[in-house]
Amino acid sequence: MPDVKPAMRIIYIPILLFFTAFLVVPLGILFVRSFETSDGFSLSNYLSVLSNAELMASIGNSIKISSLTAVITTFLAFVLAYALNCTNIYKPLKAAIKTGILIPMLLPTITYGFAIIYSFGNQGLLTKITGENLFGIYGFNGLLIGYVIYTLPAAFLLINNSFKYIDKKFMIVSNLMGDGVIRSFKNTIVRPLLGTLGGAFVLAFILSFTDFGIPASIGGTYTVVATQLYQVMLGSIPDFNNGAVIAVLMLLPAVFGVLLLNYLEKLNFHYDKFTAIGMMQHRGRDVSFGIVSTVILIGMLSIFAVMFIAPFLHSFPYDLTFTLTHIIDTFQSSDVRTVYQNSLFIALSTAVLGTLIAFCSAVLNVRTAIKGRTSTDIISMMTNTVPGMVLGLSYLFLFNGSSLKGTFTIIVLCNIVHYFTTPYLMAKNSLSKMNPIWETTGELLGDSWMKTVYRVLLPNSASTVIEMFSYYFINSMVTISGIIFLVTAQTSVVASKIKELQHFAKFNEIFILSILIFLTNLVVKLLCDHFQKRKFNHL
Amino acid sequence: MLQLQNISKQYDLKVVLDDINLEIQTGEIVSLLGPSGSGKTTLLNIILGLTTMNRGKIIFNDVDLTNVPMKRRGFNIVFQDYALFPNLNAYDNIVYGLRNKKEVVSEKEIQDYIEFLGLKPHLAKKIGELSGGQKQRVALARTLVTKPKILLLDEPLSALDGVIKESIKQRIQLIAKEFKLTTIIVTHDPEEALTLSDKIVIINEGTIAQFGTPHEIINQPSNHFVEEFILKQLHIKRQNIYNLFGDNYA
Repeated sequence: MPDVKPAMRIIYIPILLFFTAFLVVPLGILFVRSFETSDGFSLSNYLSVLSNAELMASIGNSIKISSLTAVITTFLAFVLAYALNCTNIYKPLKAAIKTGILIPMLLPTITYGFAIIYSFGNQGLLTKITGENLFGIYGFNGLLIGYVIYTLPAAFLLINNSFKYIDKKFMIVSNLMGDGVIRSFKNTIVRPLLGTLGGAFVLAFILSFTDFGIPASIGGTYTVVATQLYQVMLGSIPDFNNGAVIAVLMLLPAVFGVLLLNYLEKLNFHYDKFTAIGMMQHRGRDVSFGIVSTVILIGMLSIFAVMFIAPFLHSFPYDLTFTLTHIIDTFQSSDVRTVYQNSLFIALSTAVLGTLIAFCSAVLNVRTAIKGRTSTDIISMMTNTVPGMVLGLSYLFLFNGSSLKGTFTIIVLCNIVHYFTTPYLMAKNSLSKMNPIWETTGELLGDSWMKTVYRVLLPNSASTVIEMFSYYFINSMVTISGIIFLVTAQTSVVASKIKELQHFAKFNEIFILSILIFLTNLVVKLLCDHFQKRKFNHL
Repeated sequence: MLQLQNISKQYDLKVVLDDINLEIQTGEIVSLLGPSGSGKTTLLNIILGLTTMNRGKIIFNDVDLTNVPMKRRGFNIVFQDYALFPNLNAYDNIVYGLRNKKEVVSEKEIQDYIEFLGLKPHLAKKIGELSGGQKQRVALARTLVTKPKILLLDEPLSALDGVIKESIKQRIQLIAKEFKLTTIIVTHDPEEALTLSDKIVIINEGTIAQFGTPHEIINQPSNHFVEEFILKQLHIKRQNIYNLFGDNYA
């Protein structure tokens, strides 16, 4: 590892200041505000929130529905990952699962709710197809479906990744040792995955607990924490101090969840060496898993189908003739063009700056001996913990009187901090695998440290950097919870515009805007994948 | 001439090098030989300037380099795992350092080095496509074009198989002779050290067990360690080879 060079400090200090100003201080202010009353500091805000039956009920609702979501999601994600990794199902089906499952990630969660309404509502597409109203969708059922769809991709990615690190030879050994099906399954699959399954549960719980888009669209009268927080802050009688209390209460399960995740990490097996081997033949297993995973995938995608159909029909579901008028009308509105441009601008700025900050933080952490470099790990744990809504709210408190209020900058900064953890960990992972003496070699060949970073570390992380960019871009396009307290009429983005259109019941516009986000994200994702592959082949 | 005077190094309480004194003449190949953990790599890194020492002096051609940072000492090293940059092809690796100091070497000289190390057919290859021996030669070329005043090699042969080992050995000897380049090599293999170098520094537990030519070490081992761990190994090897070929080949 090279000695500490001045250039390292020149990068390190601004990064530290950045996170101090846009993570630590805002959260500090949030805490202070939660104790602030008209006559000094006291616990009375907390007491007032905790004695408010409606608020407490919404917290109870959130815990209940998020737990149920987490159970269902973990189970479904496990089934899909198992089908991919431990069966010999038809290869194209595997590819379809792998890609299809990620589609919801390209859409804002607020869209899910409207898609569910158009699918399962009284006049919904799936209701029409099945001929009867399956169940009431406003409230609990709709939320549950929405949350499961929302959390399934993330849980699946987590479990699928762990499956790759399971030594499948153990299954053969277990078989040869005469284990029965159940014992074999328990010892070679469940036990090694226990930490990950727990992790998927916690992740799904936190995601549903803190999401705003789904309850905003389909919550109905079933109140959850996120909608309560929104009501208290931006409702008819805003109460900032109680809002701060709710935000703190929302933070608690997230803190607890992240601590639990770190603990569960210890349960994970670490195999140092494993070889790819073929799965044993088992027709019954393949057929059943093939069917089940197809059903899950189609079930999930069918809900979104309506979103791509309805805007092209005159008046879904009454007049089902094809038309482009909705599309043309929507695009002729300058309003829509403006919010789309705003969204693009914010997503691009977030992706460029965010990737830069995350990459520099990871370089300092992994590849230098600079004092206090582990602080970037602590930052990444904090950003992983803080829900978007809480972060956005804390910005509202801190920057309300400043010139940052109502700017694009504050939205970009919020997104960068909100989504910091994953890109940072991607970069760390990639940089830590590189030869530790490259910097020394570069120095001996006359490079300054910065020059080696630019000429060697950066090109060798190209594939990861592209992935980081894509992650930041897509999430900035779809986020609503992080920015809902920060957007103004001038800085409105597509996701918040959808929220606004909801009041006017303009569902065609909602779906057209959703398709716009979807297509934009799809193009960015495909482009990034393409460049990543090219880079990878190049090395 | 490189002089090491009273060099000592300790990590916390563990003494790694204890009062090392050495004189290496210009153009000599010197091997630092010892078992793992003996301190030989630490000594190499101290000469390079990568590791700081607790006590002692490094003097090169009457200039005290003790407090001169690695980059300005003018020495260079080929690391054990070569540390080639995989984003660049073989040629771009070789000329990597020239972007920083163009004037050091002419285009003709670069071609000479490439020719000399037999790298012409491999210049456009990616690092992943090179064999171990080719990587070693690319790393050598990358280091040599910067015209180091001393060439340091960390276990240069350990990752190579039999036949290539011998050819790289010859190359190293040729380089030292051709460019009158002082070369310091770290190795744990007595055979390698004794057949490759002009002089050998045998290091054991942070001190010099013996410093001398191969002839001196074979004929006048200075202590029990040299006899037991260095010579005995060579005797066993010799015996094995005799057994294979029969005594009449001796």
